[in-house]
Amino acid sequence: MLAVGILGGGLAVVTLRNVIHSAVAMMICFGSLAGMYALLGAPIIAAAQVLIYLGAISVLILFAIMLTQAGDASLPAPFHRQAPIAVVIALVVVGLVAWAVVTTNWKAAPTAAVVAIEAIGTLLFTDYALPFEIIGFLLLAAIIGAIFLARRPEEDERAN
Amino acid sequence: MASLQGYLIVSTALFGIGAFGFMARRNAILMLISIELMLNSVNLSLVAFNAFIPGARNAGAIFALIVMAVAAAEATVGLALVIAIIRTRQTPEVDEYDDLKE
Amino acid sequence: MELLIALIPALPLAGFLFTVAVGPFLDHVPAYGHGAADHGVGDHDSASHQPDSHEIVAVAAHDTHAPVDESSFRTVPAEEEQRLTSPHFGHADDLANAEGADGVIPPELADGRGQTGHVVPGAERPRYRSWIVPTALVGLAWVFSMVVFASVIFGGNTYRVTVYEWIVAGDFHVTISFLVDQLTAMLLLVVSTVGFLVHVYSIGYMDGDRGMWRFFAHLNLFMLSMLLLILGDNYLMLYVGWEAVGLCSYALIGFWYKKPSAAGAAKKAFIVNRVGDVGFSLGVMMIWTTLGTLSFTDVFGKIGGQAELTVTIIALLLFAGAVGKSAQFPLHVWLPDAMEGPTPVSALIHAATMVNAGVYMVARSNPIFSHAPVAMFVVACIGIFTAIFAAAIALTQNDIKKVLAYSTVSQLAYMFTGLGVGAWAAAIFHLVSHGFFKGLLFMGSGSVIHGAGGEQDMRFMGGLREKMRWTYLTMVTGSLALAGIPILAGFFSKDEILGETFNRGYGLFYLVGIVTAFMTAFYTFRMIYLTFHGTWRGVAEVWHHVHESAATMVVPLQILAVPTILVGLLLGIPPESGLIHQWLNPVFEHSEHAGIVAGSLAASGEGFSLLGMGGLLLLVGAGVGAAGIWLAYRWYVADPAAPARFVARIPFGLGPGMYAASVNKYYVDDLYQLVFARGGVLLAEALWWFDAKVIDGAVNGAASLAQGIGRGLRRSQTGRVENYGLGMAAGLILVLIVYVVVIR
Repeated sequence: MLAVGILGGGLAVVTLRNVIHSAVAMMICFGSLAGMYALLGAPIIAAAQVLIYLGAISVLILFAIMLTQAGDASLPAPFHRQAPIAVVIALVVVGLVAWAVVTTNWKAAPTAAVVAIEAIGTLLFTDYALPFEIIGFLLLAAIIGAIFLARRPEEDERAN
Repeated sequence: MASLQGYLIVSTALFGIGAFGFMARRNAILMLISIELMLNSVNLSLVAFNAFIPGARNAGAIFALIVMAVAAAEATVGLALVIAIIRTRQTPEVDEYDDLKE
Repeated sequence: MELLIALIPALPLAGFLFTVAVGPFLDHVPAYGHGAADHGVGDHDSASHQPDSHEIVAVAAHDTHAPVDESSFRTVPAEEEQRLTSPHFGHADDLANAEGADGVIPPELADGRGQTGHVVPGAERPRYRSWIVPTALVGLAWVFSMVVFASVIFGGNTYRVTVYEWIVAGDFHVTISFLVDQLTAMLLLVVSTVGFLVHVYSIGYMDGDRGMWRFFAHLNLFMLSMLLLILGDNYLMLYVGWEAVGLCSYALIGFWYKKPSAAGAAKKAFIVNRVGDVGFSLGVMMIWTTLGTLSFTDVFGKIGGQAELTVTIIALLLFAGAVGKSAQFPLHVWLPDAMEGPTPVSALIHAATMVNAGVYMVARSNPIFSHAPVAMFVVACIGIFTAIFAAAIALTQNDIKKVLAYSTVSQLAYMFTGLGVGAWAAAIFHLVSHGFFKGLLFMGSGSVIHGAGGEQDMRFMGGLREKMRWTYLTMVTGSLALAGIPILAGFFSKDEILGETFNRGYGLFYLVGIVTAFMTAFYTFRMIYLTFHGTWRGVAEVWHHVHESAATMVVPLQILAVPTILVGLLLGIPPESGLIHQWLNPVFEHSEHAGIVAGSLAASGEGFSLLGMGGLLLLVGAGVGAAGIWLAYRWYVADPAAPARFVARIPFGLGPGMYAASVNKYYVDDLYQLVFARGGVLLAEALWWFDAKVIDGAVNGAASLAQGIGRGLRRSQTGRVENYGLGMAAGLILVLIVYVVVIR
């Protein structure tokens, strides 16, 4: 079921004409994904998914759409001329990877293991401390960059 | 529930959908959304590996968290860029952004 | 003595350098602005006229005002008559003058007098002094040559003088050094004597020509080259002189360079020479590679030990050079055309010196040839064929100089025949005597041309013996010698060659030679009778101006007549063992019995006997010569219609065709023109097409290809991110395929 949600949402995202509708479909997709994480025994990830994607990024995207809408401009053709080729390529990629997936012996355990939250916390501050810090810097840089890029020109003069 | 391979197939399919969306749609913001889809598909496969492969010691989960953070940062900056461009060009159609054309 | 020998070539070198540097300033020629004036009839009578500074050598008959039978005179249109009677005509070259090349000075400026014979106030006389130094230096060289000659021939000395170490490059070692033995001495005699006389002759002949300093400079350069050629003691010096005389011949034949036919003839001479020179240089190189040395004495010492095939090839290659230089078939075509040059040039280069270089070279290389009987036979074959071939052409030529040119080719061929059968000394003897009488004949023809107002076509001459006594007498002397009449030089030398040919068993060659001798006598006296006897057949106005030439031109003729008469008697008696044989014996003694045909009377030890076979051959030779003269008399004096009747009577109607073939030089020139000239042009055009279309096409095509590829590839740069995304995805697929196929 959740898989249906994921894939259906995804398809909806890429095929709907209206961008806002696509954004909403994306949210549905993310939500289904969160559910799937939970099924996989990683509720922390599910929570993070909801918080980050559904809470922040989706909102961000909706804001961006709002800020750049031309009002009630007519909706032009959604797909490129190269869409058919894109379909082919996407299918080929999927096919190849799927084949690779299917034919590999994963030596996997039959059921999902559960992730302990404390374990992740501990790991974040010990084995993976460096990536953790770097991520912090990355986010800082992203914030500064976004602020700078999205400025309006007159603010530029006032800042100078 | 489902086996590892099932989750991976879903992940792959989502990735393909995201790739298709990136290549086929004309709206710049939609392209960014497709990128987010692809990133999520990767996250899904990471968490699936983390769950089914013993001995991973939660590296998959941690990596998934990191990917999420990076995706967020990237979406931020990307959207800022797109907003700037759309403001300049007055159109979100990427077809029109061909100033670097030979 | 060594010093004298080294000076002999140094003198003309100095003369050349001096004249080139200072010559132009020694000739002062005032510029003339007004065009060539019209020259009417009346202002030329025997007193004031001849506006060029010739004097009349008043000998026997001079211009008379007695009535002249003008029925034989030729009529021409008025413009042609004016051209023919213009004093420009034939003096230098009227065409050249018209185009402003070095040419003649209009008469009114030549001596400051105008049309009416009065001195034109303010006009300057031209002043030619550039001839003084070159002629003096050559005269001095002549004196030295005679001293050396005497020392070598009468004193029996041989000299080797080393002047300079020229090339020292590892194994290759060449010096500039001179070898003077009896053979060189004989050549020195001819070259320096005729050379000096030609210089004197040219003073008068080239008078009025603006390019006089150039002429004398080239003459001196030529003397230098020829002397280097004959004095050199190794093949490289011979080659240097060889090439240099070719160059000088080019310069002198094309002396009136603005005349297209002269320029073309000069080119032709040089190019045809060059063809032969390829063989010659290959031969010299082969000598070097086989023997490791180029010095004559060393080469001749070592040649005996080589394989006969090698020696034969060397000999044939060397002979190829002689074929070119001495104008034998098939490289004879340049010599008749070389008559475009001034007559002194023809006399010097093409009668007495340069063309003898080939004969000299073969004679000098006699040890090589004597070890290669096949090569000697080839030499003799080409020689005897060329002899009769050239004689057959000379029979019908109408230009007096062309007759002499073909005669030269034919006589040279006799010399080669002599060399080929092993009669070395006889060939050199003929070289010496021919040098004298042919030089005489050429200079005499120059005098005739000068006197006849520039006309060279014998059909429009006639009756000149009344007005040009000395020229007539000297030319008859030369002609008798050429025809082989006893007492005169040609008789002894030519008949020795024929006799040796017979004695050594070359019967067929002897027959051909006898027939050629008959033809020689015939065409020579045809020339004499057409030119000097009968009545004048030219334009009337020219007849009034005909005069004997100046002293500077006539005196050399008289001087040359002396050896023409005496050389045979002095050097050739008794036949086959006369003085010249004794003198040249040391040079040729080892090759006396060479030749492809073994049996010979001489080899068997029998000498010449007047009452035996030798005397009979002499008689035959003389008889044939006399017969030729008689036939010429009948056909050109007694019964002028006879030749036409004869031609008509030839069976199968071949007569006119044979005549046409002979007049057209048997179409050899046309063949060469077609094959080599047209062929060369066609080849060049084909190659040009190839270069322009194929090579340029490939190069341009490569450029276009690069451009096209670029244009095609550029279309992928759309600037659009979705296209780039597609590209990335395609790359991703490739990676996946690799993974799936290779790794799995």
